[in-house]
Amino acid sequence: MSRHVLQAVGLVRRYGGLTAVDHVDLVAPPGMITGLIGPNGAGKSTLFSLLTGVEQPDEGKVVLGSTDITSMRPDIRSRRGLVQTFQVPSLFPTLTVADNLLVGAENRRRDYAGGLLGLSAQGRSRISHSAERVLERLGLAPKGPVTQIVEEVLDSLGLSDVRDTIAGTLPTGALRLVEFARALCARPDILLLDEPASGLDSEETAKLSQLLRRTAADGVGIVIVDHDVDLVFSVVDQVYAMVGGRVVASGDPETVRNDPTVRSVYLAQAPLAAAGHSGEAR
Amino acid sequence: MTSIDLALAGVSLGAIAALSGIGLLVTYRTNGVLNLAQGGIATLVAYVFREMVVEWNLPIWLAAVISLAVVSPGIGLLLERLVFRPLARRRASAAESLVASLGVLVLSLGITAGIWGLGSRSDAPSIFPNSSVRLFGDTRIGVDALAELVMVIVFAGVIGVIAARTAFGRQIRAVVDDRQLAELSGVPADKVAAAGWAAGTTMAGLTGILLAPRFQLTPYGLTLLVLETFAVVVAARLSSMPVAVLTALGIAILQSELKQFTLHGDAGQILTVLQSNLFIVALLVLLLAVPKLRELGSGDSGATASFSSRGAPPSGRVSGVRLRRDYLGKLGGGALLLAPLTFAPSDLRSAFMVPALALIFLSMVIVTGYSGQLSLGAAGFAGLGALLSLKLANGDLFGLPALPGIASMFVGALFVAPIGLITGYPAIRRRGLTLALTTFAVGAVVSRFVFEQPTFATGLYLDPLTLFGWELSEKAFYVFELICLGIGLLVVRNLHHGRLGRALLALRDHSEGAAAVGVDVRNLKLLAFTVSSVVAGLGGALLVHSSYSFSADDFAPLQSLLWFTAVVVFGADSAAGAIVAAAFMVTIDVLAPAGSSTLAIGILALALGWMPGGLASAVRGGLRLLAQYLADSFVDPNQRAPRPVPVRISAVGHLPATTGITGITGIPGIGSTLGAARAGHYARWPLSGNRYVLPPGAPRLTPFGASLVTMIEQYAAAQTAVARQRQATDSDGAPRPAVPQPTGPAPTGAGAGAHPAEGGRA
Repeated sequence: MSRHVLQAVGLVRRYGGLTAVDHVDLVAPPGMITGLIGPNGAGKSTLFSLLTGVEQPDEGKVVLGSTDITSMRPDIRSRRGLVQTFQVPSLFPTLTVADNLLVGAENRRRDYAGGLLGLSAQGRSRISHSAERVLERLGLAPKGPVTQIVEEVLDSLGLSDVRDTIAGTLPTGALRLVEFARALCARPDILLLDEPASGLDSEETAKLSQLLRRTAADGVGIVIVDHDVDLVFSVVDQVYAMVGGRVVASGDPETVRNDPTVRSVYLAQAPLAAAGHSGEAR
Repeated sequence: MTSIDLALAGVSLGAIAALSGIGLLVTYRTNGVLNLAQGGIATLVAYVFREMVVEWNLPIWLAAVISLAVVSPGIGLLLERLVFRPLARRRASAAESLVASLGVLVLSLGITAGIWGLGSRSDAPSIFPNSSVRLFGDTRIGVDALAELVMVIVFAGVIGVIAARTAFGRQIRAVVDDRQLAELSGVPADKVAAAGWAAGTTMAGLTGILLAPRFQLTPYGLTLLVLETFAVVVAARLSSMPVAVLTALGIAILQSELKQFTLHGDAGQILTVLQSNLFIVALLVLLLAVPKLRELGSGDSGATASFSSRGAPPSGRVSGVRLRRDYLGKLGGGALLLAPLTFAPSDLRSAFMVPALALIFLSMVIVTGYSGQLSLGAAGFAGLGALLSLKLANGDLFGLPALPGIASMFVGALFVAPIGLITGYPAIRRRGLTLALTTFAVGAVVSRFVFEQPTFATGLYLDPLTLFGWELSEKAFYVFELICLGIGLLVVRNLHHGRLGRALLALRDHSEGAAAVGVDVRNLKLLAFTVSSVVAGLGGALLVHSSYSFSADDFAPLQSLLWFTAVVVFGADSAAGAIVAAAFMVTIDVLAPAGSSTLAIGILALALGWMPGGLASAVRGGLRLLAQYLADSFVDPNQRAPRPVPVRISAVGHLPATTGITGITGIPGIGSTLGAARAGHYARWPLSGNRYVLPPGAPRLTPFGASLVTMIEQYAAAQTAVARQRQATDSDGAPRPAVPQPTGPAPTGAGAGAHPAEGGRA
């Protein structure tokens, strides 16, 4: 299955007199990690919500593959392969970790009415479903594709031990990981990550960047917005730097790091942002 | 009457509505609670006032002073102290406050009905003389209208000045923004909140006393009248007082002006209804038109997770013991439900209400407990189901042929589906308070425009139910009801299991998160509302057959509020809780005077403050503790498995409380020091200076854990060194050296763990 490219074309978003996002173009290809940096108020978060569909642009469009998805709701975008995670982990606190992932894995189909009539997920009759349950109990059941994805992701992220833990009882670091796992279960073409490293300690952040590299190597495109400039520059293939709603520099990390505008913005902000942007202030 | 006369006649009602609106806004702006109990308190005070004047023969002015200066603010202060302060202290979600205010409403209704009965009284005294003042020409205005208008202007003005100009106003804003933070800055938050409540309930009392003489005094009627004035605060978007006052006057004057028109036919009938129900129509229209209320705080009153926190049944394998216990519970419940079959006929007839009511409650479990939407319109759906099924049975609906009784019930219930679907549409974008008010308004409009209209609700006759030509006996009817309840339970079960159940719970727990992974939030909400309306419709149809008549009162909008409170009290996410709630209410109403069940539900609702998941969750928790205790008493204390501490899921932002976490996350390196705290990593005692070697394959330490281990090693090394030195010096007889300090700054970070020997030099 070929994966889609995410493109933003001439996106504009205004709040009253303020233009939060000002004619931004962005291309996030599959298999690559795209970083989005900028000081507070640069329009990163607004751009992010335009991409996810939480907000609608005043001008411009968002294209996934060859489809214009500008007017689509977030859940439709997600079913088409554009999946996001949140700055504050957005797990379903009353479900187990495995069930959280299942919700993600089951997203491609919408025929909920079948469930209402008591039909199983695959639309089989109740009788064959019960038969399957008996087989399962004997350990003979072939696992459905959905469950298989969940188990694979649980395994590969080392989450198997907590599969039956209620998600609401996990600590923040684990929550981030489970949310990431849930997004992976939705089989994304493009993953949009909003500050995935916030609340993580340095070791967890290091693990995260490994995980991001691995995921990208599997062919998933990743767009990452984060305050941790060290993380962004260490992991991305390309960077977009935003200031005042515009993209002021883009390209590979080295180019953007040496861009005079970027340098001046971060140097000017250095005392204020010393904590958040230590990598740049150095 | 001319337009001007009509307008002036409308001013009085408008002024009263404005006073009610001011009261609601004051409470909301000081406490962040939209006081749904406003109507109940108004009614209670109006009854107290009447009691003092009519029964105790107190002078009107004295009675007015006692009611408004003592009773009303007293109620407010009591509520603040006993109900809402504890909620604010533990940062309860707006949804919990909403339910608490519903509880207060139900409680005040119960008290009023309990003391004075449900009958109507037409001798409510008026505080103003029944005279009028000449304005110009022949145009006169009533003294009452004039006085009320003056009161509105004075109160609005005073409150406006206090809010904008005084230090107290600033304190109010601070408290509403963040109560805890305000307290830390020295703002007397409790006083501010109490003042807000006292002012709000005083306004409520005033509204009640002024409204009572204009209409008949009945517990339910007057309460509903005050609830209709919510249109005013919705127009004000919960913030602007002038807008509220102007809207109140505008709606009342418009309603009065409508009286000069008469139309014939259906349009005429609609006009007649509008002439006395413009407020409720305005409430619905405004709720649909106003894009967003300015809800205080995070506007999270849509999050029902705080009172429905049960997750899905585990998708994995369930232990045999648990299955057996579940079956036992179900068998027991089934046996109890069958018990009425052995009752005497009159008691059996009383029991008819239980399955019917249980079905209606189940419909609320679907919408609120499982999909997390606040819906206060169940009575509307139930009534429609009842009405449509009766019309179908009578062959009176859209020219459809008369259906046999049983078929008409199911078809009638299905006909409610489109209305449920339409009601679901506002829920796509609305949540919390707005959604609750919208569904309430839908129920109220349906009640006023359909149930109370002779065209729809008269000439209905109830034939005995037949099945294949056999008339159902009373016992057979009860069994039929149980079958219907069984169907409802099956639907609920399917909504709670498998993919659909997970998706719904995901929607309830975090709708943005659900959308982010592709859960079809929109259609799921519509599905929940539609299915719920059908279940409620079936329950309504059964309710009519069990009480042998269709009465608009059975499906009055206030019933929805009472039922909703009952469902939440017994556990919004528990199907069993819904059935128990129905049985509880019917039993109390049979055994005790009318209105007692309202009182009981009200009292239980206030107990929700320290029983967040409702009775069902309390029972579940109790059973779990008991099981734990039993298990512990058979297990060696050293062999016990680490026990997960129950974690209260915070409704705000869905951040899990991190307090109850045990060290069993099992994820290496994730979760601060947990990785280090696992078995085998505990420091050994007595401490030795030797490097503690991690077993191969053990999880790596987190930075904090590593530095902790390093520090312990340093300490241990220092101690051994001291001991050694002491031995040496003792034998030498030389003076003791000072206790050696670790050299250099304490190493931190992951790298430190690699050089543990450094700190040990002494």
